[in-house]
Order: sequence, then structure tokens, then C-alpha cells
Amino acid sequence: MFTVEVKVGLKKGVSDPEGANTHKSLELLGFKEVSSVRFLKVYRMTIDAPDRDSAMERVEEMCRKLLTNPVIHTHEIVFL
Amino acid sequence: MRSDEVKVCILRMEGTNCEQETFDAFKRLGASPEFVHLKQLEGRDTLAGEGRLLKDFHILMFPGGFSAGDYIRAGAIFAARMKAVLGRDLVAFIEEGKAIGGFCNGFQIMVELGILPAFDCTMAEHPQAVLHANDSGRFECRPTVLKHVNAGKCVWTSRSNKGELRHIPCAHAEGKFMLPHESQEKEDALYQRLFDEDRVVFQFSDPIGDTEAPYPFNPNGSRFNIAGITNDTGTVFGMMPHPERVFFRHTHPDWYRRRIGPEEGDGRAIFWSVLDHIERKF
Amino acid sequence: MDISNLFEDVGLPTPVRRVNILDASDDVLRSVSERLSIGLSVDEMRRVRDYFGTEGREPNDIELEALGQAWSEHCCYKSSRYFMKKAFLDLHQDHFLIKGEDAGVVEFDDDHVYVVGLESHNHPSAIGPYGGAATGVGGIIRDVLCMGAQPVAVVDPLFFGPLDLAYERVPEGVNHPKFIFNGVVAGIGDYGNRIGIPTVAGMVNFHPGYTGNPLVNVGCLGFGKKVNMIHSRVGGVNEIYILAGGRTGRDGIHGVTFASTDLSADSEEKDRGSVQLGDPITKEPLIHSCLEMNEKGLLGGMKDLGGGGLSCVSGEMALAGGFGAVIHLDRVPLKEPGLAPWEIWVSESQERMMVSVRPENVDEVLHIFRKWDVEANVIGKVVEGKRIKVFWGEEVILDLDLDFFTAGPQYCRTYISKVVDREVRDVPFPVPDRSGLEAALLGLLGSANICSRERVFRTYDHEVRGRTVIKPAVGRPFTPGPSDAAVIKPLEGSDRGLAITADVNPFFCELDPYRGTLSAMEESVRNLVSVGARPHSVTDCLNFGNPEKPDRLGDFEEACRAIGDFARFFGLPIVSGNVSLYNESDIGKVPPTPTIMMVGLVDDIKLVTTSDLKTGGSILYLLGRTHHEMGGSAYYQEVGAACSCVPDVDMHLSRRMMEVVLDLDKSGLLQSVHDLSEGGLGVAISEMCIGGHMGAELNIGLIKDGSSSGGGSPLRCDIKLFSESNSRYVVEVQPQDAARVEDELSRYEVPHIKLGTSGGANLKITEGEKVLVDIPVDILDHVWRNKLTWLLEGSK
Repeated sequence: MFTVEVKVGLKKGVSDPEGANTHKSLELLGFKEVSSVRFLKVYRMTIDAPDRDSAMERVEEMCRKLLTNPVIHTHEIVFL
Repeated sequence: MRSDEVKVCILRMEGTNCEQETFDAFKRLGASPEFVHLKQLEGRDTLAGEGRLLKDFHILMFPGGFSAGDYIRAGAIFAARMKAVLGRDLVAFIEEGKAIGGFCNGFQIMVELGILPAFDCTMAEHPQAVLHANDSGRFECRPTVLKHVNAGKCVWTSRSNKGELRHIPCAHAEGKFMLPHESQEKEDALYQRLFDEDRVVFQFSDPIGDTEAPYPFNPNGSRFNIAGITNDTGTVFGMMPHPERVFFRHTHPDWYRRRIGPEEGDGRAIFWSVLDHIERKF
Repeated sequence: MDISNLFEDVGLPTPVRRVNILDASDDVLRSVSERLSIGLSVDEMRRVRDYFGTEGREPNDIELEALGQAWSEHCCYKSSRYFMKKAFLDLHQDHFLIKGEDAGVVEFDDDHVYVVGLESHNHPSAIGPYGGAATGVGGIIRDVLCMGAQPVAVVDPLFFGPLDLAYERVPEGVNHPKFIFNGVVAGIGDYGNRIGIPTVAGMVNFHPGYTGNPLVNVGCLGFGKKVNMIHSRVGGVNEIYILAGGRTGRDGIHGVTFASTDLSADSEEKDRGSVQLGDPITKEPLIHSCLEMNEKGLLGGMKDLGGGGLSCVSGEMALAGGFGAVIHLDRVPLKEPGLAPWEIWVSESQERMMVSVRPENVDEVLHIFRKWDVEANVIGKVVEGKRIKVFWGEEVILDLDLDFFTAGPQYCRTYISKVVDREVRDVPFPVPDRSGLEAALLGLLGSANICSRERVFRTYDHEVRGRTVIKPAVGRPFTPGPSDAAVIKPLEGSDRGLAITADVNPFFCELDPYRGTLSAMEESVRNLVSVGARPHSVTDCLNFGNPEKPDRLGDFEEACRAIGDFARFFGLPIVSGNVSLYNESDIGKVPPTPTIMMVGLVDDIKLVTTSDLKTGGSILYLLGRTHHEMGGSAYYQEVGAACSCVPDVDMHLSRRMMEVVLDLDKSGLLQSVHDLSEGGLGVAISEMCIGGHMGAELNIGLIKDGSSSGGGSPLRCDIKLFSESNSRYVVEVQPQDAARVEDELSRYEVPHIKLGTSGGANLKITEGEKVLVDIPVDILDHVWRNKLTWLLEGSK
């Protein structure tokens, strides 16, 4: 069993209204020290696989088939 | 083929919710629409007589809504399920010359499926475009004016002249059409290709036809104000606004300001056009 | 007091405790109630003890929990029913078909009905604004659905503290109004949009009294065939109970007891468990599947699990059918393992529906649920005899007489009515000059309570289903003005329409609960009449403070009386409603807030009218009487003046106004109609100009006190401009129709004066020769349209 986190983010240059709005709200609340906010989505999953490499391969496939759209997304897979 | 012989598959799953008005639009024009749950095509949890085959239909509609709650990404779950089980059927359906349409969430599903824009293929393995979060960061339910810019490729707008303005409302949070950005040049070239191949169907405009008009005329920030596109054969068509909501004049935002004029709403021509196409072809 | 020794494990594989209270003293009873957080008073606990005395055994914890919930204010209206019964519960009209269930069913035409419900979700929204508001929408939609109707529209009246409240002035334990506002609006939008029901109308009000306790009221309108209406009761003995939809979890435990106490500073942490979480993607297929099986005639009864959970629903459905029930609690699917039986029994987890089905239909019903991927399980059945028994495996863990269980106490608590000074006793202040009046008008248009709600309703899908004929905005599509009521056309083959509005002015109700409530009723009538709809039914949501405090209950009594008086006079049935008491926090009570939702019928949607000016050169009339009654007015708030006399309602005049406007509408003689409310004539005419993107030139010299057709004493020009007297409309008439319109108005004895004409780019208002206001419509538009965004984003 492996516990894996998939972090899906936006490619550089892709507009990020959720991040931008959060940034603005934080500023309004007085958190002037924040210089940027980017929005990330994290999926944490527990998967059954014989070894780390094959787990990695399956998660990559999940990213291709469902979790990301390559036009705007980047992703990072982290084993916990 | 007579219009009542045209079978329209109004496909739904949990979260699709513009299916009734989409159904009504085809019904009012004399076609034979049917609600079909994705499971009926997949053959899951169905009793005898409940299963359906895609090939028995002439038009496949992806209605608007929030399929699977739009979790992960708008349309992504519907598309992934569809592709896993029905990918091959879908390609055959398109290659036979049958029509597929999607409005709002339907358009998002089609882009995630890879059947739009579908450069150099019928269905791309990975999405070639995306409908990204609106620049405003909010859901935008508002009137929009669309300029019909298609020169004749799209079978869904044959009853509309090029340059015509149509008032068709929007309601979405993720509608910003984007093509991949490997480099500015490559991105520009892709957009150019869409226009050159007569694949752009509708652009957002202001009431006098300026297709560079900013928000709120362009509610989501799409480049070139793109609101709807078609594939290479002109039979697969998706748009963010909701033509099914303006089948009649009395659901336009300002219909009561001019009470004379036709009963017809600006969305009707779209349904009519595709029926024309199927009736002629089959 | 240590009472641990009273709790005794009964030795099941799941935690059920016997609670030994048969010999308990009052002090012990109080401690038991507190320990279990079931909110029962000592008197009520004594009744419980005596009941188990006659049963000859000690109760289990699950039985006490069930009683605490069933006898809460929220479930049995123990403090409020007396007053409502006295004031209006007897009102009836023949078109009102089903009452006393989850939502009211009213006749639309020979074959169809509409169904209305309105509910509060106040305390959950104070603690978790997003989830609280979302589940509010979910709950009211289920109420309408369980009558067998397709939900077709959502309405949401919302009440918050001021958005510009300084952060350092936000009381401890309270969220900033901006945070609550954003969460509530997002919650309603995300939920309503996802299930595909348009949010067509509502209101947003800001008042300092809501800072500690915001109000989130949510209404739903459903539509269906008469033959498909179904009751919230079982159809007969041996029917099978099927629980469908979401799983049961710890969310919403003690939700109704939470709704029946004041909010306190530590509510935020302590009560988070009382807030349910919504799941629109379970709800949407639940709607489809329930409607499908109902249409196929497979159901004996159907009821949603709202406040009160499985416990209330199982008992009430059986008793309403005249039977008892047996429930197997171990068959209820759970979100997480380890819930105690009492938690399962009273949980208020969302998206659940109970149906009762004849045995031969069970398989088909389960198949339909499976088809829609809705989880459904058989959990019990209907039996003879009015008792409810709950099993865990083979063991009976709850066994109650249903009459005792569901007959909560009824109180007539002490109340003191507010003494209202209705004499006009203003502290005089100088009449402003032109620049003062112009500043006041712009100030009003840019005030939080008057400015455009576009920022809110654009985030709600208000036209999904493709049947919204009049939307929240009317006029030119890209510069619209406000609409008075929404209109939907529910049927494919008919031009008959339904109009919906919701209203209340808390500033009026705060000063004078009786007149304030009358005004809310009258404004709702005006809103409907303005679009050409005849008022047809009333639903209320009565939001008040702690009923154990006599002045709060006095406010409540006055409001009920006003609703009764008005509805009786107009022949309107009160078809459903909701009472939300204990709307108090450490910083005080909310203003009395009797939210009124009114539904009207439109004979032909092609003849509706809207508020936007249509053509230049039309004649503008003011209909009705203007009085000097400035209490609670937006103008007095703007200039910092005070008066305790709020607008009265002359019901005879109001009815004549209604009849004549509807009559003129039907004859197609009115180009536009707008009622006068907050900000009076000045704001109303500005809104008409904004929607039409067109100016107007008016002379208000002829307006006199009490009678607009002359004769009365003179009024100050600022009072003429900004008085909020009831029963008034501005109408736009084409010159060639003017004589006919004037004849009709005279025939109905409706006071009216000719104000001027439409056209130009400015709104110019004079009194005789004297110019009072002359402002470009673009400037009026700019201030009115953008203010809410400025308030939210902190700019400007």
C-alpha cells in the first residue's frame, strides 16, 4: 500500500482567478506581506501496488486520463 | 428522412440538468428526442429493454449542467467515463457523419473527450483545449450577444447567416476557451488555424457586433472572444452559451421591450439547422 | 451535579444506555437534560418521567434524544403555534389544496398545482455560511419534492450585518458580515446551480442587528400535476420504509435543538457539529428518481429528512397515516462506523428521503434508485397500532406511543407588545437645497440596501430550465434595472405564469412590528401587481428573538396579527411557513423579520409589465397617496434623522390600487410599472430610468399630504421625493392612452397625479419652477450598479 499525493497546479502564465481573488481578500484582511497566491488542488490517495515504480506508473496514467488537462495543468506526484 | 424519424440521444448522468429544455427544443421541431442515462449506453444496472446503442441515434446531445458535480474539472468525469466505455462507438458515430452537440457543460465534456477541437483526428487521446475558470473568478449568468462568424462549415448553424448577431445567454464559471501555449507563436498559429479552417462558429460581441468587446460582453475572458467551435467535418459543435434557453422570444432578457415581431427566439435556428442536415443526409 | 450513576449500559454490541430517571428529582431531571443537550425543560422532563412510569420501565438514551428533538421549538412550534393559530392558521381559500405538510399545495389550473415552502437556515449559516446556506437550499427543495412536485424556482431572502463594519468592531466569536455574505451567496449559488433549479428572486438586506445573527431564508416553488401530489404519510399497513439518498453521519446532530437556543460567543467552535454538509450531486439524481417513481404510482408516501432526522420522519409519517412503525436501525448505511444508535436516530445528515412502498413495488423502487446511483435500503415497515419500535438486531431499543411522542407541549408564554408612538414627531431639520437633494438621491441609490443586487444574482443561474420570463434584471440587457418580481412560465402548452416575490423591511418592523409586517405584505402585493400578477398565496418565514423574553414574543404576536389582518382582507391563504425563534446573540436580538413570500398568477405572460421605461415622450403618473411617515425610511437613515411613525397601510385603497393596475395592465395600457418602496419616488423613478437607459422630467409640485390629487396640506419637497408611503406606483403611459387611463383611475377612485414625461439623458425633477434634481442617468446608473462591488472589494 502506498499513500500518494497528486498536486495539480496551473502552468505558468495561465490565469488563476481563485488564487488572485484569495490574494486580494488576504490583502483586505490586512495581510499585506503576501506577495502571491497560487491555487493548487491536492488529491491524496491510498493505492495497492506491488512496488513504488508500478504505483507511480498507475498514478501517471490517472493524471493523463482524468486528473489533469495538459493544456493548462502541471502535476507533481509525492509519495508520503 | 422525415424530421420525426430523427432520433436524438439526450445523454445524461448525475448533475446534467439542462436536459429537459434541450429535449423540448428538439421535440417542438418535430424530432424524436429521448433521455438516455450514460448507464443505458454502458449497459450497467439496466433491465431488459433499458439498454441503448449509440449507433441507433442520429444526433447525440451533451446537455448543460454540472455533470458529476464538475468535481476535478468541469466535464472531466463524464468525459473519462464516456471515453473508457464508448470511445470507439463515438468515433464511429462521428465518422458516419452523424451530429454531436454540446452547450455549456456539454461543450466542456466534448473538449475533455478530445472531440473538439480535434485537430488532425476524430477524437484526440488527450484534450487539445480547455474551458478554464472565468477571468472574473465567478459564475456568470448574463445575457450575451454572439456573432455568427462561420462561413458554412458548421451544420449546426446553416440557418444563420454569417455576420448575424444572436442573443443567447451564458451561465457558467468555467468558459474561457484556451488552446495550448507551448510558445506564443505556436499558440497564435493554432488560433489562426481554427479561423482559417472555418471552425470558429460564434464569438462574443457587443450589441453592435464588435468581437473584441471586453467583459461583460465577453463573460469569461476567452481569447478572440471565442464562444463556440466546430470540428473539421462541421458536424461536432460545442458552445458555452445556452441556445435551448432562448427557443422562444419570451425568454430573451428584454423581449417585453418590443412586443411585436416573431415568436422565435435566437436559439431555435441551431436545432433547426442540425435537423435539416440529418434529414438531408439520412 | 454528578449523575453518571444514572446511565447504565444495556449490554448490546452497540452503545445504548438506560437512563434511570423514574425516581429523579427536578434537579436531577434538569441535569439529565443538560447532560444529553436535548433542551427539554424541567416540566417537559417531568412529563417524560411520568410517561415512562406508566410504561413501567426506565427510558433508553435514544428515547430521550428522540423526545428532545420532537419537542424542540423547531419541530413542534411550542412557543409560536398559539399565536399563529389565533391570527391566521384558520385562513382558507378553495384553491389551497393541501396544508399542514412540508409545503403548501395550491391550485394553478384544473390539472396543475404549484407547491411553496420557505424555511430559515439561520444558525447553521452563522457558523458555517457556505454549508449552512447550501443545505438550506437543499432542505427546502426536498420539502417541495416530497409533495410530488418538480422544484422549479428558488427564492432567497438574506439578512446580514453591514458589509463595511470595521474589523475591530466585530464582536468576539462572530464572523465579519462580509465573510458571512460571501459564504452564503457562494453556498446558494454552488448548490442551486448544481442541481439545476433557477434562483429567480430574493432580497438582500443589511442592518446592524444581523451582525451577530445573520438570517438566511430560502424558499422554493414547485410545480406538478394534481394527480401526482402525494402526502407525507404512509399509505397503509405493511408498507415498507425505504431510506434513500445520502448516508447518515454525525453532521447535524442536535441541529434542531441548536436552532432553538440563542447563539453565544463559543457557538462557532462548539456547534460546528450541528451544521450539515450538502451534496448536490446526490440530490440531483434523488430528485429525478423520486419524481419518476411517484409518477409511476409506486409510492404510498414520501417525506424528506430535514430537521429531526429519521426519528421525526418515521414517527410522523406513520402516525399521519393512522399506523405505527417498526424500524431496524442497524440497516441504516453510515458515513463512518461507530455511531451510537441515538446518533443515527436523530442525525440530520442531508440529501435523505424516506419513501413508503407497498411490498410488491419494493423491487421496482430499488431498481429506479439504483439506476440513478442513489443508495437505498429497506429499513422498516408500517404496522398496526400507534407505536413506534426501533430494533438493533433482535433487541428493541426504543418503544414509544406515537401520540405521546409527537404531541409536543404547546405554550402561551407571557408577551408584552411594543408601545409604538405613531404620532409624527420628527426633530425638524432644514429642507436641503438642490445640491443636498442630489447628494441624498445619489446617496440612497448607492446605499447598501438600495443599490443593485446584480453582483449577487449573476452568480446564481436564474434561467436554467428555460422558463424564466421575467428575470431579476429588467430593461436593456447590458444596463438593466431591478425587477419587482420574477415570472416563470411553468407549462409547455399554456401562457399562464407564476410570479414570485419576497419582501420585508426590517427597519419598519423594528420600530413598529405591526405596521412593518403590514408593509411587508403590501409591498409583496405591489411587487406582484407591478408585473401584472394577481396575488394568490402567502408563505411566511417568521424570524424573531428568544420567545422566553416577553418583548420578543410581543413582536411576534404583532407580526402574526398583521399577517392575519392583511391576508383576511385580501382573501389570501397562508399556505405554508416557518418560524425561527432564538435569533439572538451576545450583542442582542435581530430586528423582527417576518419575511413574506408571495406567489401571484399571471393569466397571460405575453401581457406582463416591467419597471424599465420603454419610450421617450410617455406620460408618467404617480398613483396613490403620499404621507409624512418617515420612520425607518432610507432617507432618514441617509440624513441621520429619526421618527417612530412608519408607513401605515390603507387596505381599502391598497385593494383598489391593485385592481386598477391589474386592469390597466391587462388592457395593455401601461408601458411600465414600478412600485415605490425604499427611497420612495426618487429611487423608484431613478430605477425606471436606469432600466430604460433613458431620462425623465417630473414636476412634483402637485403632490400633497395624504392625497396626491390635491386638497391636503403641503409637504416638504424632500418628503415628497423620499417618503416610503405604501400603496403607490409610478406608471408609464403613451400619450394617446392617457385619457383612458385617467378615466379608469377615477372610476376606481384611485388618487393620481401627472408627474411629467420620459425622455432625454437626465433625470430632472422640479417643484413648480424650482429645480430639485437634475442628474444624468449615466451617473445614477454608475452609483447604483457598482456600489455592492465597491463594498465587497473595498474600493471606492
